[in-house]
Amino acid sequence: MRRGTFVRWGVPIAAAAVIAGAMGAGPVIAAVSGEPTLPERTAQQLLADAAAATSERDGIPPMSGTVQQTASLGLPALPQTGSASPINLLSGSHEVKLWYGGVNKIRVAMPTQFDETNVIVNGDQVWYWDSGDNTATKVKVKSGTDVGRHQLPTPSPSDMTPQKMAADLLAGAEKDTAVRVTNNAQVAGRAAYQLVLTPKDESSLVQEVRVALDGETYVPLQVQVYAKGSAEPAFQVGFTQVTFTPPAAENFTFTPPAGAKVQEQTLGDDKAAEQHAEHAQETAQGLKTVGEGWTRVAVLPFKPEDLTKARTQQPDGQWNEGADPGALLDNVLKSATPVSGTWGSGKLIKTKLVTALLTDDGRLLVGAVTPEEITKAAGIK
Amino acid sequence: MTVVTHEAGAPSGAAPPSGDPGDAIVTHGLTKRFRGGQVAVDALDLTVPRGSVFGFLGPNGSGKTTTIRMLLGLVAPTAGDYSVLGMPLARALPRVGALVEGPAFYPYLSGEANLLRFDAADPTAAGATARTRVGEALERVGLSAAAGKRFRNYSLGMRQRLAIAAALLGPRELLVLDEPTNGLDPQGTREVRALVKEIAADGTTVFVSSHLLAEVEQMCTHAAIMRTGNLVAQGTIASLNGGLTTRIRVETPDAADAARVLDALGLADVRSAAPEVTAELGGQAPEEINAALVREGVAVRGLAVVRPSLEDVFVGLTGEGFDVDG
Amino acid sequence: MSTAETEVDVRRTPGLVPVTETMRTVEREPGAAPAGPPAAAPPPSRPVAAFWRLLGSELGLTFRRPRNQVMLAVLASVPLLIGIGLRIAAGDEAVGGLIGAVAGNSLMLTFVSFSFLVLLLMPVSVAVVGGDSVAGEAGAGTLRYLLAAPAGRTRLLAVKYLNAVLFAYAVTIVVALSALVTGLVLFPVGPVTLLSGSTVSVAEGLLRILVTVGYVGAGMAALAAIAVALSTFTEVSIGAIAATMVLVIVAQVIRAIPQLDFLAPYLLPTWWTRFDAVLRSPIDLAALGQGLLVFGAYIGLFCSIAWARFTGKDITS
Ligand SMILES: Nc1ncnc2c1ncn2[C@@H]1O[C@H](COP(=O)(O)OP(=O)(O)OP(=O)(O)O)[C@@H](O)[C@H]1O
Ligand SMILES: [Mg+2]
Repeated sequence: MRRGTFVRWGVPIAAAAVIAGAMGAGPVIAAVSGEPTLPERTAQQLLADAAAATSERDGIPPMSGTVQQTASLGLPALPQTGSASPINLLSGSHEVKLWYGGVNKIRVAMPTQFDETNVIVNGDQVWYWDSGDNTATKVKVKSGTDVGRHQLPTPSPSDMTPQKMAADLLAGAEKDTAVRVTNNAQVAGRAAYQLVLTPKDESSLVQEVRVALDGETYVPLQVQVYAKGSAEPAFQVGFTQVTFTPPAAENFTFTPPAGAKVQEQTLGDDKAAEQHAEHAQETAQGLKTVGEGWTRVAVLPFKPEDLTKARTQQPDGQWNEGADPGALLDNVLKSATPVSGTWGSGKLIKTKLVTALLTDDGRLLVGAVTPEEITKAAGIK
Repeated sequence: MTVVTHEAGAPSGAAPPSGDPGDAIVTHGLTKRFRGGQVAVDALDLTVPRGSVFGFLGPNGSGKTTTIRMLLGLVAPTAGDYSVLGMPLARALPRVGALVEGPAFYPYLSGEANLLRFDAADPTAAGATARTRVGEALERVGLSAAAGKRFRNYSLGMRQRLAIAAALLGPRELLVLDEPTNGLDPQGTREVRALVKEIAADGTTVFVSSHLLAEVEQMCTHAAIMRTGNLVAQGTIASLNGGLTTRIRVETPDAADAARVLDALGLADVRSAAPEVTAELGGQAPEEINAALVREGVAVRGLAVVRPSLEDVFVGLTGEGFDVDG
Repeated sequence: MSTAETEVDVRRTPGLVPVTETMRTVEREPGAAPAGPPAAAPPPSRPVAAFWRLLGSELGLTFRRPRNQVMLAVLASVPLLIGIGLRIAAGDEAVGGLIGAVAGNSLMLTFVSFSFLVLLLMPVSVAVVGGDSVAGEAGAGTLRYLLAAPAGRTRLLAVKYLNAVLFAYAVTIVVALSALVTGLVLFPVGPVTLLSGSTVSVAEGLLRILVTVGYVGAGMAALAAIAVALSTFTEVSIGAIAATMVLVIVAQVIRAIPQLDFLAPYLLPTWWTRFDAVLRSPIDLAALGQGLLVFGAYIGLFCSIAWARFTGKDITS
């Protein structure tokens, strides 16, 4: 009888094993190493090939897919925020759908439960659709601005596409970075090259940055940032599913549905955007940096009251509930460690990838460096 | 002998046991230890011949129901093996009608609907004949009049009858009845007894557990007696009684004289306990003993032939105590 | 003279066994051995037909049971109440999103009703039928008679689960039909606006409702697997029902805690609400497919647990 019992319970155990196996193999978007199917390339060759391919066909080929962004920065508990808040991108996992038919045929959809926001670019027409408030916004762009690269009024999901991230990161690869290439990565089921950028400076919190380029089209498929001492990427954005066929035309046609509110908005005319720009300018004036390359630390004047003030200044719901920076800050500071040294004293917040120091004399230091390095930077006034 | 596996739906292709293929039930070392260590049945070796009416006796908690549950594949034996009708259990069970530990039905269904439900569970029963067979089974236990009544509204005896009817759906080769007369009125008890005899007359083996010794003695050809999970005796009723002999009992004021007379007649084991004298009857005729006593001037107030009863056997084997087993 | 007659004779006069016989120590009378196997061997029946017969009996039990009928009626009334409520509120312009869309289109009521019911009321009714399936029979004692019939443990479990699945689909269809009828009566019929902002015809809208019914029913079937599995562990059906509901509620709580976000893709409620994929343009088949895979995984795991437990269980009730 005993043996029979073991055999019987073997069935659900086997079922569990099969499911666990399928789960491990299925949604993994991290590059899986396997048998290399691509010819070997040096970093230089790879970038040259990529550049050649890009210029040959005049940019990125038509494609569609799902982009997933995952962050596990090890931040202290964040309050729950509205789904559209950019703060949300700092934790958890987010998905956007992308249809790319050419420079001026783009659709980005951000599906959330029972809602969806869409940005649809078709020629000189740009629509922003939000099913949540049943509003279609026709975005007018001031003449002379390039639609494809312009910042949309909401946090545009296109910021998260690997293309942009890869371009930014590759530009940063300088003398303080070791670059190597692997040819055995798999992303969204496609063989890909992986450009691995390793900071040479020991005090950087970044272990390495991996950029996956499609083996066939050289389109960046994934960017991963690994923190020191962690096997899982602290931040990654990449395709979970991708096809390089031109998307159906109806993806780029948008007619506001009957009964929807239709608005018009001209980019650049926006008063709020102006305010933002002003504020950004002010901040930039006070900003200075210490250090070089990967260990650069930004120093800016900062008082917690500023944010609280900012909250009262913007009563028209610019910030989603809970995402309001004052509350967020309170929350974050609760878990900060008080530190002090010859430079003074302050509160230290350490995440996997970023360390921030808020000094009592009203400075905020932020950098992808170890706490020692940031206190060192705090000593340089 | 092959172990009959616990899974009634998919038993191993067990060959018939090496014993007599004519036996309806054979068990070897059948043991059930419940979780918690309670040994309900301990190394039971039981043989129920085909065609017999087999009384399964034992005090409360002696393991009768547990044995029946094992035979029906409801409970997995801890050790030992068994065979029912000499074939794999899944094939045997459709030929077995069972009543286990009282009736259990769907209270919101009528008696007839209840029987149809259990008939549907039997993969060998034909749906086309279900209604007729259910009707016949109800008829047999005298429930036809209450067939449409909800089970919830049945009386205790009606419930018991319905359970017997469920055991009689379709042709059976073995009927396993756990205390079938529980809760029946005297009329019902008699009817069940008659029913069992009638069924047995058709050649069906009946395995019936009971406390009612008189009933078993009247109905059964064979019996087994359980005590705390152990089998203490089994065999034909006669062989069980055979251990005890028929005695003659004389009621008299002249006990000493009577004892002398009986002794003189050559009766064995004469015991005198005024105002009674008893002795083994042996082969002698009681009327002649009476004549001899009268001839000798012994005042005979009463004279009786005492046949050994199953109760004597039972009490002899299981003890006088009132405590339950277990 | 046949041996059987001897036997009958002996049986009818139990008191009159010859002494010579009574002295024997053999366990049975020499004459009692029957001649050959009995003639009344049951004919080899068609197992498939017998399976459907048992399933039919099970379905009859489920759908004729007043308790289950009441649950279906309650579920049917919810879309009606939502519809009436939205009709009254339709005057106010402010409502947006899915709810606002109902006022403009009758078919949307079906999706809104599902979004309301799929997280609690539908799971409750499926948990009741699934949790009661084995435990209810064990508690009433009818399980021992079904298995002695013999229903066969694997066969009975398959029937029980299939019955729960069919009830899950009945629940889903009842909600969809009630919402559809209510919607058609109370709201205008016309092209359906999807979440993506594009519009599809009424026919395609109905097709998408059909897809939703299929998907949501599968999600409920996954819950039924959990309920049936828990049902094999107890003889108290309310225990299995409550345990299933506790699991559903725990899953909802986990979903509401942002720190436990990483668990969400493994939880059933996450995927129940993903039927909104049919409201996108194009239909998000990847999401539906992944949802169905999750449901399949739950069904496979919990059905095998139920099977391992039920086939090895001592029926002592
Ligand atoms: N599920 C169980 N778990 C533990 N012990 C049990 C279980 N079922 C029965 N027993 C024990 O096994 C022993 C035999 O029980 P069983 O029901 O077979 O007795 P029985 O001979 O049928 O008694 P009765 O004449 O009262 O019906 C008892 O001591 C009982 O307590
Ligand atoms: Mg009993």
